[in-house]
Amino acid sequence: MADEKFDAIVVGGGPAGLSAAYVMAKAGMQVIVVERGEYCGAKNVFGGIFFTNVMRELIPDFLKDAPIERNITKRRFAFLSSDGEFGGDFKFDRFNKDFANNSFTVLRAKFDKWFSEKVEAAGAMIITGAVVDDFILKDGKIAGVKARMDDGELYGDVVVLADGVNSLLAKKLGFHKELSPDSTIVGVKEILSLPEEKIRDRFGLNGNEGVAYEYFGYAAKGAIGSGFVYTNKDTISVGVGATIKSLLEHKLNPNDVLEHFKNHPAIRPLVRDSEQKEYSAHLIPDGGFKKFSKLYGDNVMVAGDAAGFVNATLFHEGTNLAMETGKLAGETAVEAFKKKDYSSESLSLYHTRLKNSFSLRDMKQFKNSSETLDKNPQLFDKYPDMIGDLIAELFTVDGEAKWPKERRLAMKLLTSENPFRLLKTAIDMRRVII
Amino acid sequence: MKHFTSMEDKLGLDKFTAFEKSHLKIKPGSDPLVVERKLFICPAKVYELNDKGEPIVSFENCLECGTCRVAAPDEVDWMYPQGGYGVTFKFG
Repeated sequence: MADEKFDAIVVGGGPAGLSAAYVMAKAGMQVIVVERGEYCGAKNVFGGIFFTNVMRELIPDFLKDAPIERNITKRRFAFLSSDGEFGGDFKFDRFNKDFANNSFTVLRAKFDKWFSEKVEAAGAMIITGAVVDDFILKDGKIAGVKARMDDGELYGDVVVLADGVNSLLAKKLGFHKELSPDSTIVGVKEILSLPEEKIRDRFGLNGNEGVAYEYFGYAAKGAIGSGFVYTNKDTISVGVGATIKSLLEHKLNPNDVLEHFKNHPAIRPLVRDSEQKEYSAHLIPDGGFKKFSKLYGDNVMVAGDAAGFVNATLFHEGTNLAMETGKLAGETAVEAFKKKDYSSESLSLYHTRLKNSFSLRDMKQFKNSSETLDKNPQLFDKYPDMIGDLIAELFTVDGEAKWPKERRLAMKLLTSENPFRLLKTAIDMRRVII
Repeated sequence: MKHFTSMEDKLGLDKFTAFEKSHLKIKPGSDPLVVERKLFICPAKVYELNDKGEPIVSFENCLECGTCRVAAPDEVDWMYPQGGYGVTFKFG
């Protein structure tokens, strides 16, 4: 490979890298994607919902042949107590129409592989089974990358780093501080197979409708975290995530948290009679805007998880942010290609475009979310049962008249928690959630 | 529910292709007790202490998440496995 020179090198064949490669290849640039897995998707893990607003811009008719699992028409947000749940959900028939809410379940090993074939068809080259460890520098500027293999040098005018949450390469450039335990979530997930008919009956679904259930409160055995159940075609994805700091403090292994979640009275009936198919783990960068990587420099841009673009609030968005940042990096590279100017100044267009995009705006809006949750551990250990008990008692019909009962329960709440702290937590939560 | 709960059985669900050399190391001079203090967090339980109290690193079971790296940055030397090796997800 030593003699070849590309217009652009993309490190990482996930949604961010593939989006960047697609845009650049379509514009006629010579692009190579370097993926460390056996195929694009082989190393990629997420919760399960692919938000398709950006995919629609890139490949408008992707639904024709993309490996979509189910169209999410119902979302539920519940708070687990130790023996129950309370929450709310919404389901709209309008979401049943193509693209209606741009929320589909997919399996990354299949979906990213499919996307990589589209990228190849657009003219990009993809090499798999090659892990990039370093850059090639010329006169102090990035001139390419080094893959850990014989003749692994690849030269290119611009490098798009889309090498995921760990992004050792962005760290190497000094763009990226080490991920911190309080703002990094480790997620573990199981894929459980269930016949399609059972999934439809169990979750109340027609055809290819699907659900996304998110669980907060006591979902991670008291650690700061959450859990989820998503329906795929003939499997369900069940997982939990918690901050590394909180798991360390609680002396919890993520798999034990997952086992606890799967056996919770609210979750157990959803997963029963299923067969385990896969167990996976992945990190989620939850530091948001404050922990962002530097996003560009001379001959380089960073996109997706590598730059920290995940909105881990109520919205749980990641794939669309990855695709948007990849797309904008790709468009910026195309402009630079036309001008033959890959300097930091030229690539600053990437930042300008990000500032006008939902991606950076959302990250700014929720910039305090992980810190706020870290400061409110009571939401995950004390409050779930405190509030759950009130609801359970209020709705226990026991002959006690309503007015004295309500007064008694209000007093009980105020003696179990400082009212100002309760109010402050509620205000904090509103800022985190929407 | 007849689900596997042990780590060994769960990892048996996944496809691994082990490379000859480990991509994970405990840095020389580290206190082996880091395994009990922090590395219990590994979702694949890659790190254990043997009978002599020495750390064992079962890198061939690594899910490549990076949790150990973030939990114990001073003790763990982490890199991606050789390209094409390690875990391959069929679902993801």
